[in-house]
Amino acid sequence: MPAGDAFTPDQLYDIERAVRHAEAASGLHFSVYVGGADSETRPFAVELLNELEDPDRSVLVYVDPAGRRLEIVTGATAKRQLSDHAAGLAALSMQTSFAAGDLTGGLVTGVQQLGDHAHQAPLLHANEPHKQ
Amino acid sequence: MITLLSDHTLLVFVGIPALVIAVVALLVFASSIASGPRYRPGLSWWAPPVWIGGPDVNAKPDPANLPELPAGPSSATASTGVARTTGGASASW
Repeated sequence: MPAGDAFTPDQLYDIERAVRHAEAASGLHFSVYVGGADSETRPFAVELLNELEDPDRSVLVYVDPAGRRLEIVTGATAKRQLSDHAAGLAALSMQTSFAAGDLTGGLVTGVQQLGDHAHQAPLLHANEPHKQ
Repeated sequence: MITLLSDHTLLVFVGIPALVIAVVALLVFASSIASGPRYRPGLSWWAPPVWIGGPDVNAKPDPANLPELPAGPSSATASTGVARTTGGASASW
């Protein structure tokens, strides 16, 4: 990868759009970090999650392109909506794209999958009084 | 023989093939030029970190400027604003 930004504006737009859709579908906060880690990737990713405004309701996707590592971290509340098994499936999908050199495609697909897995059906008629 | 190498001959046998080669090469590389630099696994990564949906949308934090990592798992469990337990998944390629 030559020096410069990791993504073109179009690629960034695609990732941000996937993040917005995932947030709208799930009600959770999604965050994507692409960069190197000074330490082990998992504790670093957890630390990034804790930097967010509401870590318990957040999902962080951490990608280390140089170290070829991917971490998906879910907060305590987010974990109830997005199981580790579902996160593992999304990680598998992203891993395949990343191995082929498609960083943007992997992130877009993976975040979409995470949003779909964490999707909560709207609660219909919740505010209506009970009718006999 | 000299008459065969006129300007017209050069144009037909050199200019047109060169033009065709240039057009084909442009078509082949146009998509990669338009899509920008491509990530190649195994090669070094030079781009600065990008954080989409981070604390500040415009921030691109340097890992060196982030707070110190917790000394152990227990220290990341109590304080407000810190995820109590985390789940997720890991992968490498």
